[in-house]
Amino acid sequence: MSDAAEIMDTPAPDAATERPIIEIDDLRTYFYTRDGVVRAVDGVSFKVHRGETVCVVGESGCGKSVTAMSVLRLIPEPPGRIVSGAITFDGRDLLGLREEEMRDVRGNDISMIFQEPMTSLNPVLTVGRQIAESVVLHQGLGKKEAADKAVEMLDLVGIPEPVRRAREYPHQLSGGMRQRVMIAMALSCNPQVLIADEPTTALDVTIQAQILNLMLDLKQRLGTAIIMITHDLGVVAEVAQRVVVMYAGRKVEEAPVEELFARPMHAYTYGLMGSVPRLNVALENTGERERLQEIPGTVPSLREDIVGCAFAPRCAFATDHCRAERPELEEKRPGHVVACWESERVRAAHG
Amino acid sequence: MVDDMTQTAGAATGEVVLEVKDLKKHFPIHRGIISRVAGHVFAVDGVSFDIRKGETLGLVGESGCGKSTVGKTVLRLLEPTGGEIRLRGQDVTHLTGEELRTRRREMQMVFQDPYSSLNPRMSSGEIVGEPMENYGLATGKAKEDRVAALFERVGLRRENMLKYPHEFSGGQRQRLGIARALALNPSLIIADEAVSALDVSVKAQVINLMMDLQQEFELGYLFISHDIAVIEHISHRVAVMYLGKIVELTDKDTIFRTPLHPYTEALLSAVPIPDPQVKRERIILRGDVPSPINPPTGCHFHTRCPYAVDRCRAEAPPLTEVSPGHHVACHLREVGAGPVKLTPTKADAPVAAA
Amino acid sequence: MVATPTEVPLGHDKTVSRRAWDYTRRHPTVVIGLGLLLLMVVITLLAPVIAADPLFMNPIDRLRAPQEGMIFGTDMYGRDIFSRTIYGSRISLTVGISVAVLSTVVGLAIGLIAGYNRPFDAIVMRIMDGIMAIPAILLAIALVSLAGASIQNVIIAISIPEIPRVVRLVRSVVLTIREQPYVEAAISVGTNFWKILWRHILPNTVAPLIVQATYVCASAMILEAILSFLGAGTPPEIPTWGNIIAEGRTYFQRAPWIIFFPGLFLAITVLAVNILGDGLRDNLDPRVARRM
Repeated sequence: MSDAAEIMDTPAPDAATERPIIEIDDLRTYFYTRDGVVRAVDGVSFKVHRGETVCVVGESGCGKSVTAMSVLRLIPEPPGRIVSGAITFDGRDLLGLREEEMRDVRGNDISMIFQEPMTSLNPVLTVGRQIAESVVLHQGLGKKEAADKAVEMLDLVGIPEPVRRAREYPHQLSGGMRQRVMIAMALSCNPQVLIADEPTTALDVTIQAQILNLMLDLKQRLGTAIIMITHDLGVVAEVAQRVVVMYAGRKVEEAPVEELFARPMHAYTYGLMGSVPRLNVALENTGERERLQEIPGTVPSLREDIVGCAFAPRCAFATDHCRAERPELEEKRPGHVVACWESERVRAAHG
Repeated sequence: MVDDMTQTAGAATGEVVLEVKDLKKHFPIHRGIISRVAGHVFAVDGVSFDIRKGETLGLVGESGCGKSTVGKTVLRLLEPTGGEIRLRGQDVTHLTGEELRTRRREMQMVFQDPYSSLNPRMSSGEIVGEPMENYGLATGKAKEDRVAALFERVGLRRENMLKYPHEFSGGQRQRLGIARALALNPSLIIADEAVSALDVSVKAQVINLMMDLQQEFELGYLFISHDIAVIEHISHRVAVMYLGKIVELTDKDTIFRTPLHPYTEALLSAVPIPDPQVKRERIILRGDVPSPINPPTGCHFHTRCPYAVDRCRAEAPPLTEVSPGHHVACHLREVGAGPVKLTPTKADAPVAAA
Repeated sequence: MVATPTEVPLGHDKTVSRRAWDYTRRHPTVVIGLGLLLLMVVITLLAPVIAADPLFMNPIDRLRAPQEGMIFGTDMYGRDIFSRTIYGSRISLTVGISVAVLSTVVGLAIGLIAGYNRPFDAIVMRIMDGIMAIPAILLAIALVSLAGASIQNVIIAISIPEIPRVVRLVRSVVLTIREQPYVEAAISVGTNFWKILWRHILPNTVAPLIVQATYVCASAMILEAILSFLGAGTPPEIPTWGNIIAEGRTYFQRAPWIIFFPGLFLAITVLAVNILGDGLRDNLDPRVARRM
């Protein structure tokens, strides 16, 4: 944990002066299905600075993965389409690039790791070859150097006997090993941004701990910015510096991690925190099993027009105002942005 | 429906519902064209526990440790290789055919995947009604009323009886699965990763529902999960499995306060805590879980254990009661010694301090 | 529990014609295939009305090219090709549909049991492999020559080589479905073996079976024509497409229309059935259907 703690304590680069490495501005990604338009991402904005870890949190269908895929322009088209907004990487507008230019950005400047490593690796190529290929493609190294680089990367991500492992096929590796290979591949071209979509969800806890530690360690050594997509608040608390909470295709709250956990101001964030069973709570209690706080109902359909706050039908704090008018994002405290009419009451309830 | 379901309430609490002794399940591995048996997967290799009325035993472990196989073998969806399963005192290990079918009424299962565990071509009312039909408990109007009552009990509206599984959300489907399991008034429910596939907010709804139902019907739960926080929340007692064996078994408070087995300790410390203020000592285990086809000699955990000594490599530790109700399978823990701090034996001991 | 907000509103308010149009737009292949096939069926049923006696010989009008009054022309005995082709479609459709039904029913029964019973499976599947190793046409010829030429015998002879394909399909579906958690769930709530087969397994084999049946139907019609053409099928006095083509082949250069029109009908019918099968596959296959 020491590494992680140290990284988190490192002050984030001065947000005011330095240009963010990634800036997402009012992104809208819609899916045009035969049953109507799904507004998967509907006006999301956030920034990521160099060397920073931002977690995007939310439940399935909140648009967090679609946001990540939009950054790399990996939205299947049709049915999907980035309708409007801007994604700026290091001053370049990604949405304006031609497909060939974009291909050069992917894997080279921005890489992605996925939830299920088995489906993202080619089963008929050795893992060494797969890493080497992306190095050859993006960095123009020769075959021999690329092969050496692959072994070096496998060693970097803590795979024992990297020379032997480089000659193995994905099915010969365990789940944790495969995720390490994915990370090695993602980092092989020294990207400036790493997007990780639920990278540990398919892994066991002891392996998850290894992978999270590895990611934080590599980030510190290589200075990569990380956008981590997750639904696990435990992972968020452990790795994030800043957190973006999404609900029904929109950003509902954004804050530095300590601030968010100490003072959640959106009713959804507050509800989410109460509904997670946590280890340390019960350590203080004795014997009795407590009921979890639940959020009633399910997420709304993104096909229909939502009037007012999307969370209002499930919200314990909702008033008529919430049901009638959608709250806009507002900076309530330094760096703490929230879109909730009742944020003061939520904050009081948490306190 | 409620009447005959609650009739057992208040009667002899603490009655043992399920007793499992030295349960073994080995899967043969076939090789070649003549299907020669080339080895075995020792999925479950000598597991013993019991569950009382109204009690939840949490069975926790990582993938491949055999916890799901325990559930399926207890339910006799798989044939046990050895050991004994007693349901309310009666041996059901070797029952077959009609006898087994009759006894199965008392133990039901809630499955992990709320999508594939419901037949997509049956309406939700038919799914929940099927168990009653099978045992001739109710037909026609009576059955429909009972199904409706079950729907309402698990938080679904009775109008939904005509809908098909794909018309429900994940959480609602899991409620259907629970209603189906309740339909036969079982005394034991085996929940195999019952909430693992659900979203955070829905997970809390289903956990609460299961806890309420347990109180109402005095159900015994075998709650199988890899999610330690959920196990901690719902269980009275917890059994930790590693490579086909239970390595530690005790009540919930003890296991979370003073875990004695090095594996339990590492497992607990690996769980991310949703609070950035909490800084803990974390033990990062090296390597992966070994294959159950060729488990390590001696204590199965010795390959990853930071405290392992020579004896661990040679001799398998038995599950021993070191203090009342606290069972541990570790050579380094002696009876009555309590939670003495162990000393790492490996030079590169993977212990990180806070 | 709040009502499901994720529910998609169903098109109850739409008119029937509007829904039919929607369906046509989404699954044009099903509609086209079905339309063509229905057209063939209607023609077949109306044969006595629209066609003359297919066996009536008129030596004066021998080998006439298509013209007013004999739109498809006549053959070497002066028989009207139009009437013969229309009546021929009766045999083709009867054989195609009968073979599809027969081989599906028998194949389903064998496949269901094979998927569930290991010893039975081991024996039966080797027999099926054996049948599949013999070319269908040779097997059919052998069977017809053993049993004698008649429509029933042709149907049976064509069905036998088709059965193994159905069995393999059903068996593979059964093997997949029996591992599904909902089957385990059914066992654990005390459902007996036959009910599991009937209620949980069988309904899930229907979709792939219907698709397979259309392919069987198409290939049966071709096989029937080939058998007739080779003189090993339906007795030559019955006008079937294969028989008409067989008789016309010696006059191919002088009177190509004798072969052309029954050939065209055969091609259109087979195409219609295949298009329908493809459309149904896309429609019924949940993996494809799940895509948006």
